[in-house]
Amino acid sequence: MLTIANITKTFNPGTPNEVRALRDVSLRLEAGSFLLIIGTNGSGKSTLLNAVAGTFLPDLGTLTLAGQNITRWAEHRRAKLIGRVFQNPFSGTAPNMSIAENLAMAARRGQPRGLGWALNHKLKAELRDRIRSLNMGLENRIDNAIGSLSGGQRQALTLLMASWLKPELLLLDEHTAALDPKSADQVIRLTHDIIQRDKLTTLMVTHSMQQAVHLGDRIVMMHRGQVLHDLQGAERARVRPEDLLKRFDDVRRREQLDSTVAEMLQRNYV
Amino acid sequence: MTLLIGATTIGLILALLAMGVYLSFRIFNFPDITADGSITLGAAVTAILISNHVDPGLATLAGFAGGVLAGMTTGLLHTKFKINGLLSGILVMTALYSVNLHVMGKSNVPLLNETTLATQAENLGMKWLHVAADSDLNVFGWTVGLRDAATLVAMLLLVGFLGMLLYLFFRTNLGTAMRATGDNPQMIRALGVSVDFIIILGLALSNGLIALSGSLLAQYQGFADVQMGIGMVVWGLASVIIGEALVGSSRIGLLITGAVIGSVLFRLLVAIALRWGLNPNDLKLITAGFVFVALVAPAFLRKLKPAATAKPSEA
Repeated sequence: MLTIANITKTFNPGTPNEVRALRDVSLRLEAGSFLLIIGTNGSGKSTLLNAVAGTFLPDLGTLTLAGQNITRWAEHRRAKLIGRVFQNPFSGTAPNMSIAENLAMAARRGQPRGLGWALNHKLKAELRDRIRSLNMGLENRIDNAIGSLSGGQRQALTLLMASWLKPELLLLDEHTAALDPKSADQVIRLTHDIIQRDKLTTLMVTHSMQQAVHLGDRIVMMHRGQVLHDLQGAERARVRPEDLLKRFDDVRRREQLDSTVAEMLQRNYV
Repeated sequence: MTLLIGATTIGLILALLAMGVYLSFRIFNFPDITADGSITLGAAVTAILISNHVDPGLATLAGFAGGVLAGMTTGLLHTKFKINGLLSGILVMTALYSVNLHVMGKSNVPLLNETTLATQAENLGMKWLHVAADSDLNVFGWTVGLRDAATLVAMLLLVGFLGMLLYLFFRTNLGTAMRATGDNPQMIRALGVSVDFIIILGLALSNGLIALSGSLLAQYQGFADVQMGIGMVVWGLASVIIGEALVGSSRIGLLITGAVIGSVLFRLLVAIALRWGLNPNDLKLITAGFVFVALVAPAFLRKLKPAATAKPSEA
């Protein structure tokens, strides 16, 4: 279970490049729930995910995961509880190392690493089994470098790596945005299967209204570093992609209103 | 013949330097200049201990430990104080110059009449082959000094052993995490590894190997000198690059072997060039020029090829 309480983050404070990326964001995620975050560019949805992952420390607020206060934990320490898949397919795997070695490292996520062999026959057999379940024909290529694979294959493997040891929380940061439609479909189906099978608590950022509506049990829409809508239960069940698009239009219209009003004020008073 | 054997032995000793440089430059992509200071540190510590009649084995280990400390310092400056990697190395290297002078107490420590690992190897040779000291051996028709032969064999065994150890290390959990740290730090951090810790550990190991190389070099050539480290990073890099060109593969085991062969080959080339009348003063200039060409040539050759033949994976 994840609790995000009053998280605030301002980048480059006091400079012309000041960005108030997160403003007093609070969310509570029950164990086993699957939350989708949507929002316009720069709305802070990826920033929120990074705040949870520990890429930076928040200015204010607390983060609690699985009963532990992780607000001040370093990124690598949080990795014990959190599995992640990045937007960029190149981010989640070490390209010059073999498929087997990459998975072997994931099989020890958050555990101490000593001088035991990274790979042995038992582990190799197990990872061949798990890779076979991806149905990508990669189980016979486990000694090939990951850099030789396609973006879709790499994302599928990263997903397998992030969920190898069942994480307390799975973070998916637009992990299909950089893929072609067919690979994106494949990865989304895999995402759905893995989350269902392991009942993983998941936070997923997406640009796709289709994904938002068809996956998960809750939708949060962010805007300007704040939670604008939080759709749960019956409201979530009724929602269609068009409804979400309409909400985006509302936001845009309000934004335009803001700028025209500002212009009018400027004309009249400055 | 003596010339070739001497060059090969020094090449093998400097292969440890090449392994260290391979670790920092290639595994981490970290341009670690500390090497220039740590190779001298290894030599200085060992030399001063040996001239105070400490067991040469222990003295060599102490030299290795000195390098470990130097590497850790560079790693700490880079990770904890966020100083640029190149600058961290330069700072430690500069500081080590004074440290080395303090360790030795003067700029040069001779070891000519001391018991070193080289003389111990000779004694072992005497015992096993039942010959007198300073005798010459007949190896396949060539006359070889016992001391030269014994050191060469000892270095071959030691470098082979350490190379194998390094290769095996890279296949452990810690070793794969180290390779991944250089390959994709974001990924290994997301898998729960402290990138800072691994960089400090890696630089410690790298400089330990380099200091060991300096320690053995001092024992072989019979002195430690405060200037002996100048330009050694470039030397090691040249060996690594020759090795990569020779093995033409990205497999770790082959690359380590390549670095060893590259080091020996480079040393042999230099010995032959010097024999042919190359001015020793030009040596570092030529070495730097060689590394420059080796760094630029691949990109230049790629540009010459028409774009159509470029591999898509490289785009």
